[in-house]
Amino acid sequence: MLISSNDKITTSQALVILVNYILATGILTLPRTSVEQVKTPDVWISVFLGGLIAMIVGVIIVKLSQQFPEKTFYQYSQDIVGKWMGRVLSLLIIVYFFTISAFEVRTMAEVTGLFLLEGTPTWAIIMPFMWVGLYLIIGGVNPIARLFEIIFPITIVIFLIVTFMSLGIFEIDNVRPVLGLGMLPVLKGIKTATLAFLGPEIMLLIVAFMKKPDKAVKVVLVGLSIPLIFYVITVVMVIGALSIDGVVMKTWPTLELMRSFEIPGLIFERFESFLLVIWIMQIFATFTITFYAASLGLAQLFKKNIHPFMYGLLPIIYIIAMIPKNINDLFKFGDMIGNIALFLFGVLPLMLLLISKLKGRKV
Amino acid sequence: MKWWKSKIKQKLDFENQKENALKYAEESSNESSNQFTGDYTVDLELVRKEIGHNWDVQFREFQIGNTGVHAVIIFVNGLSDKELINNHIMKSLMLSFSEKSYDDPSFVKGAVSKELIKNQVLSISELTEVYDLKGLVSKVLTGSTALLVDGMSTVLILGTTKGKSRNIEEPVSEALVRGPRVGFTETLSDNTALLRQHGDTRNLSIINFQVGRRTKKELVIVYMQEIADPNLVEEVKKRIKKINIDDVPESGYVEQLIEDNYLSPFTQVQNTERPDRVFGALMEGRVAVLLDGTPFALIVPVTFSMLLQSPEDYYERWLPSSLIRLLRYLAAAISLLGPSLYISFVSFHQGLIPTKLAFSMMGTREGVPFPAIIEALIMEVAIEILREAGLRLPKPIGATMGIVGGLVIGEAAVQAGIVSPIMVIVVALTAISSFAIPQYSAGITLRMLRFGAMFFATMFGLYGVVLFFLFLCSHLVKLKSFGVPYVSPTVPYRASDWKDFMVRMPLMMMKRRPKMLHTKDSIRKD
Amino acid sequence: MKLNYYNIRLLLGLLLFLMILLLTGCWSSKEIEDLGLIVGTALDIENDGGSWEEQDGEYSNRDLITITNQFVTSETIGTGAKEGSTQQKAYKNVSETGDAILPTLRNMILKIDKRAFAEHSKVLVIGEDLASTVNMQQLLDFFLRELEIRPSSTILIAKNRASDTLESKETVEIPAFQLVEIIKGYERTTKILPPMTFAKLDGKLHSGSSFLLQNVVSEKGEVKFAGAAVIEGKTKKLIGVLNNKELEGITWITGKGKGGLVKSLDEETDQPIIYEVLSMKSKIIPHVDGDNISFDVNIESEGRIAEHWVLSEKPFNNEFLKRAEKVSEKEVEQLVKNTLDKIQKEYQVDVSGFGNRLRIEYPKVWKKVKKDWDQTFSEVPIKCKVKLTIKDYGTSGY
Repeated sequence: MLISSNDKITTSQALVILVNYILATGILTLPRTSVEQVKTPDVWISVFLGGLIAMIVGVIIVKLSQQFPEKTFYQYSQDIVGKWMGRVLSLLIIVYFFTISAFEVRTMAEVTGLFLLEGTPTWAIIMPFMWVGLYLIIGGVNPIARLFEIIFPITIVIFLIVTFMSLGIFEIDNVRPVLGLGMLPVLKGIKTATLAFLGPEIMLLIVAFMKKPDKAVKVVLVGLSIPLIFYVITVVMVIGALSIDGVVMKTWPTLELMRSFEIPGLIFERFESFLLVIWIMQIFATFTITFYAASLGLAQLFKKNIHPFMYGLLPIIYIIAMIPKNINDLFKFGDMIGNIALFLFGVLPLMLLLISKLKGRKV
Repeated sequence: MKWWKSKIKQKLDFENQKENALKYAEESSNESSNQFTGDYTVDLELVRKEIGHNWDVQFREFQIGNTGVHAVIIFVNGLSDKELINNHIMKSLMLSFSEKSYDDPSFVKGAVSKELIKNQVLSISELTEVYDLKGLVSKVLTGSTALLVDGMSTVLILGTTKGKSRNIEEPVSEALVRGPRVGFTETLSDNTALLRQHGDTRNLSIINFQVGRRTKKELVIVYMQEIADPNLVEEVKKRIKKINIDDVPESGYVEQLIEDNYLSPFTQVQNTERPDRVFGALMEGRVAVLLDGTPFALIVPVTFSMLLQSPEDYYERWLPSSLIRLLRYLAAAISLLGPSLYISFVSFHQGLIPTKLAFSMMGTREGVPFPAIIEALIMEVAIEILREAGLRLPKPIGATMGIVGGLVIGEAAVQAGIVSPIMVIVVALTAISSFAIPQYSAGITLRMLRFGAMFFATMFGLYGVVLFFLFLCSHLVKLKSFGVPYVSPTVPYRASDWKDFMVRMPLMMMKRRPKMLHTKDSIRKD
Repeated sequence: MKLNYYNIRLLLGLLLFLMILLLTGCWSSKEIEDLGLIVGTALDIENDGGSWEEQDGEYSNRDLITITNQFVTSETIGTGAKEGSTQQKAYKNVSETGDAILPTLRNMILKIDKRAFAEHSKVLVIGEDLASTVNMQQLLDFFLRELEIRPSSTILIAKNRASDTLESKETVEIPAFQLVEIIKGYERTTKILPPMTFAKLDGKLHSGSSFLLQNVVSEKGEVKFAGAAVIEGKTKKLIGVLNNKELEGITWITGKGKGGLVKSLDEETDQPIIYEVLSMKSKIIPHVDGDNISFDVNIESEGRIAEHWVLSEKPFNNEFLKRAEKVSEKEVEQLVKNTLDKIQKEYQVDVSGFGNRLRIEYPKVWKKVKKDWDQTFSEVPIKCKVKLTIKDYGTSGY
């Protein structure tokens, strides 16, 4: 089952998919998780390095995918390591995808329940969200890409405006000194920071949909630079306003930053609602693309129509999303996904790439 | 188990009916394909049987010149030009015939030849021949005059159609400050003429179709030969041919029968009364569909951004037009999301509004017995009723309605404490915003969706509004109008198309036609 | 695109689902007019909490806290708007006593008909007595944790009873707003600290450094800002108060002021010369020499002569300007010295950012001394240099 020609996406669409996929939960929690590890104001350097590592991983993934034009990972993994092993790997990745989509949904529900809808049951928040997501992905990868193209500029504009409004409470002393205690603390934070850049793995599938697959490397580099800039700005602004000691105390530091200032006189005095709006959109993006990736995987694995898998995955994702009992469980759940991802996408693609190169030489 | 059996039965019955209808149509066509015999009385009886019972169908029997040959002309009273019939048909056949025809070598007493009448007697420009009843009836009923002559098995059809057409006026629904004061009329030939008039239009192709199984209305599709994408033209033709309905009273029927997704709340075909608008669209590579009997032309494919554009945007200078366009986008956003945002802030997120505003909202809502959603629903429904009522009433009363409804009821409702003043402001603002959208149908769509947004907001506040927005976008990105994504040029990004999207860039910079239409000739200017 | 049956089914399903949701109702909605907006809160210590124990049937031997919330409700606004200034006040204060914050707040439900809503809370005033007996971290835990309390609201310390600062003689004014508006004056005087918001406070409390909170006094229904309260980082309790003069000194040391005056007496004529600050810059330079830490404070400022009573001299004369600069510099130096004396010797806390500078310049040294910094600070030598420049003298040369 190769991909039909009208399901192709342009280079910029691939870029937007990647960016929207990466930007998700991390933007609200990254300042805290990374500061917890680094404990100095140099967090932004960790974030920067994390982004670079993610870029390397991304390029490896792209190189791997480019070996097999027009084929997604689910199809070519069987070519590399044999039918059964390939299926197992594909299944692993499918599980990973729908687990992460469940995680995103739950996080969204937690934050929304906390900041916007106190008292609304979690299921009531999750269900309509998932339905809308399902409605979108039924249309296939093209509508997904187009929706992302709508969300993307909205996110960028609002994010930049809102962040720079917080300049009023920014104190340069809070982000100084640079490298006061050397590189060691910075290195401690790299793993956490890298996990915020989870997302290049989508290139395992997206490359197959691209009209010009040879531009995929560029897509990965640019597509990771944009979240990188986002994250660095976020981390710097949050730390600058709340200070290192303040950040570790906050569950959702970025939202806390938005709540920490008011600009009277503008029509909106308070700006966290804007951040929440774009954040919900970003979560929606991540949710839909992972949901789609998982269903696509199942469909290609079993060589069946994709729609039944979409409907079938819906309750599974819902149940997984409802598993964590409290917010700590949820964060642990997230860490677990991160660790799995490190193995799955840090090590595996490189191995597969090597194997396929060796095999290629033999042939 | 019974219900599905009955359902199947229903379905079968329906099929049967359909077959019967087809059979009937065939039979009737067989019957009326009766050839004329040339026997005057037989033929006349045939015609009389078919349409003679109609009050408005006139049979005028006479003899040609003083040859004694019987003849009859058949025409529809009111549809045909009597002046023409009197002066150029009756007169030449009855009075002038004798003088001319005696000299004619082919003249034989007691009979007249077809050629003679055609070539020398009748001074009428439009003349065709028919041989059977069917052809005669359809022509006569559209205003032509049929001439039946004893001894001739051919019936001459004389073009005497005098359509009841009104003068060309400025379109009411699309008034402009600047731009031609010309609108389409109900007559197709007038409308196509308006398009032809535009200039040297060798390129302009006007292809004719007939729609309506029983009424056979004239429909033309218009496009620029050298510009429009041939695939698009083919697609339009295909869809028009597929129309299988007994009658199309208005182009709205055509619109609904050729649109891509009939479940979508969005209009996927643009309608307009303005020839300049149609021509502008043609020059961009779009295709227009004109139907006889309605001043509304259809333009396909349509994109969402087109619904927020007006021809005036191009006539005015680029800066004011761009600002006005941005204003329209703002109006669209307010019209869609205004009340729902109000509801979500008043009923859910009181913490997100400025303190002073919260105070004044609190003060104004003091004593209002309903929650915000009911309040909003009351006012929104009231204003929709007002609008509808104002539309139906004669103009002078309509204005009074506006005052009574808007001022008196609004003011009184606030005084009585049923709604809060801020709600009245919100509702009025959204109503006005929805009228700022140039396309009436798009305005309706947004007003309709507004209620959806309000329900989402009632359930989930701001989160609901975001969900609604995502839902709406999910729908929009799936929608296509004749192969063109409905939300282009927003997505997929086509930088050059953005020059004519939310702002209108200077004409100097708009060198290309919209890329999304895949035009044959993409260069507008060098 | 053709509509397949999936799409139609999905649409219908969605519609049905929405209807069911509508039936279940709107969980989180609360109408704005049913809310009592809390705009300010005052915390006081209660010495005899008599009636409370009996009513609630509990007893605790811990300090009792009286919480006073300032409410603005639709009633208080409505009357103000419609009938002008009537007898009714624009606010409503409700007090309740208990030994922890939230239970006490919840007890307020028993008293008021409105649902308390704190998103618009602007200010928290803590009584001096309470601040000096209870650990701030414990006291403020609820406020830092609660979602409804915005991190942008400000904390003040009241000299007497905090609840008095939320009272006003004027019926149309809302005292909590007045307090917030007064704080904004920090841009024009050196006697008001930049607002300390919950957002900043959280970091301070967590890092264990000492800090200042603006002090407010309420006298006969009028509020006035007076000096600052010193909160010690270790105990997180109030240990003393700086008066206005000392607060000015702090402002000069940190250089955070944006305006203000320096009043000094002319040496020759003994008449006042008033120097108005146009800009202020201060540089704290730490020096580390082995285990010895010392600081230099360089203060630079530009300003103008805003008023002078010296009849014999004219500012047209450069010498007079120099003289004026000199006396003003001396005055500022005096201010700074007094302040340093007070915080180093009497309170032994660093509230003016010396530690912060050390952290930035010598992060490794800071790591060592961080733990006992207040102690170390009290013995650190600090040198101070002031440079004022008079740029102009307004429209009058006399």
